[in-house]
Amino acid sequence: MSKKTSGGTVNTRRWDNIKLSFSVFFANTAAVVGLIIVLVYLADAFIMQIDPGLLGITYANTLVPNFLNPVPTAPSWQHPFGTTYPGVDLYTSTLKAIRIDLFYSFLVVGVGAVVGSVIGVISAAIGGMMDEIVMRITDIFFSIPYLILALAIGFILGRTLMNMSLTLALVWWPIYARYTRSTTLSTKEFTFVEAARASGVSRIKIIFRHILPNSLPPVFIQISLDLGAIMVIFSTLAFIGFITNASVPELGYLTSLGLNYVQIAPWAVIFPGVVITIFALAVNLLGDGLRDVIDPRRRS
Amino acid sequence: MNIWAYIIRRLLLLIPTLLGLTLLVFILSHFSGNNILLATYLNPRLTGTARQLLVQKLTAEFHLNQPIYVQYFYWLLQVLEGNWGFTNTPVFSGQVTAAIELFLPNTVVLTVAAAILIWIIGVPLGIYSAVSRDSAADHILRVGSFTLYAMPIYLIGIALIIVLGVYFKVLPFSGVVSPTLVSSFSWYINGISYPTHVILIDALIHGAWGVAFDAFLHFILPALTLALAIVASIIRILRSSMLEVLDQDYIRLARSKGLPERTVNNIHAQKNALLPMITLFGLTVAGLLGGAVVVETIFSYPGIGYWTTQAFLNSDVGGIMASTLLFGLILVAANLVVDVIYAFIDPRIRY
Repeated sequence: MSKKTSGGTVNTRRWDNIKLSFSVFFANTAAVVGLIIVLVYLADAFIMQIDPGLLGITYANTLVPNFLNPVPTAPSWQHPFGTTYPGVDLYTSTLKAIRIDLFYSFLVVGVGAVVGSVIGVISAAIGGMMDEIVMRITDIFFSIPYLILALAIGFILGRTLMNMSLTLALVWWPIYARYTRSTTLSTKEFTFVEAARASGVSRIKIIFRHILPNSLPPVFIQISLDLGAIMVIFSTLAFIGFITNASVPELGYLTSLGLNYVQIAPWAVIFPGVVITIFALAVNLLGDGLRDVIDPRRRS
Repeated sequence: MNIWAYIIRRLLLLIPTLLGLTLLVFILSHFSGNNILLATYLNPRLTGTARQLLVQKLTAEFHLNQPIYVQYFYWLLQVLEGNWGFTNTPVFSGQVTAAIELFLPNTVVLTVAAAILIWIIGVPLGIYSAVSRDSAADHILRVGSFTLYAMPIYLIGIALIIVLGVYFKVLPFSGVVSPTLVSSFSWYINGISYPTHVILIDALIHGAWGVAFDAFLHFILPALTLALAIVASIIRILRSSMLEVLDQDYIRLARSKGLPERTVNNIHAQKNALLPMITLFGLTVAGLLGGAVVVETIFSYPGIGYWTTQAFLNSDVGGIMASTLLFGLILVAANLVVDVIYAFIDPRIRY
């Protein structure tokens, strides 16, 4: 219908659509709060990347231990979050850790989503034997708890931060493959795909120009919802002992540093954990808001 | 389709999954060459000529000088015969099968207890939240489950330790029993209780009520942590499924007949809202097993997960590979059971 109207009307309609999306999103207070929190975390990561001196931090990549006074001390004006073993200031360490955690979480979700979506779309678009094989492979990945699988793969690859995120991406892509496969299967049945096929568009072009863009919006929501989950799992792996480098600022690792002092210094484990929880919460709220924007049934 | 035909078809589908699972473990254990398989099966305490002889024997037994796909089938035969290799960690050193015998019962008891807790906590709260929609209690429940859902499992454990263990000092939070209590018993040797290896059950078998009570106190925090980590998603899903059911025509009919609200909720709605919970239970098993790894590590609870992290931290191939395989097998079996139960309950599935 919109094809028949003049260019100007299409533009106004598109503009109206965007305005409606914004008003739907901003009507949801929780989603806006989530967005603000996520932006604060991102801002912290950017400052740490570009000029950590702005927040009074000299070494953005390493923890600064103080072996003269290694036992955790309570929060004070000098150390707003207190210190953890070995004499590491928690406030600055948390600010540093947010950058590292965000970077690797984005890496995991990015790699997982791109690889998984491409495989899922191709598998569904081609169908037949190929589809069956891909689905059996994802079944196998689903038949092992991802934490165990991540431990097993990480064991082979070696215990570094980069391998840890690679490991998680290896565990995570099947979820996206399944997800995009199901959306593609429904997109495939739409008339516009049939029309493209009837007018002789090549198969590859149909997949990448017509099916993929229309299967993507739900994937973006899934990405925003997964970002929090990935950060939580990433920190859990670090907490268990995936990190061998003792000076990496990572939230799960920071938590594990204070674990032996939980009886005398609860702040040492609470603050890093709460920082992760707030991020996971914010990302979930944001994802819910985005879903409202994209899902037409919720727009009315 | 007949229900038995469905079950048989489902069993046949197991074969490729199991082959793939074992193949994945096999490929993982081969990633850095053949010697890693040898490392799995070599008793690390063996040295000198005896070790050389064993290497030769294993090379012949696993056909290590043949192509890798041939090796896979010989390895598979060994696994089927129950020869899973050796493990060497601070918590256990010896045959993998012996380690599984020692640690698995503890994990089973822990996960079953957590599953029961999830059911007891999650189902009433989820249904209550849906029935009293948009009330203050509903809002509190939603915010609570949302926060719990976002928390890393170790933070839940640590929070419980700080509140119940450190601040109120009501519950112990390390190990399975107070060591001084059990030192005089003949069925408790070197930190291992007999015959089931689960000290809570063993103490009950031997009639040591004091020890059983102490073991129970030690058991509360791990089980509660594991349950709380999963209960949040159960509450959220049950709430939405109950809301959907409450919107159905037959519920409106039941109401318009003049049935009391309680009957409608408990009899008409609840049964149908619980149906998706059965499929969810398969997912719960995966969550429980994954969560058990972290929970057992935090509380030094001697289960499979504790052994797995110890194997991971001590670069023990045998332990890692065996637990990957074991967890996979348990999960595959759990999913099969869930599918079969679902087919019995909901006839639409079979067709």
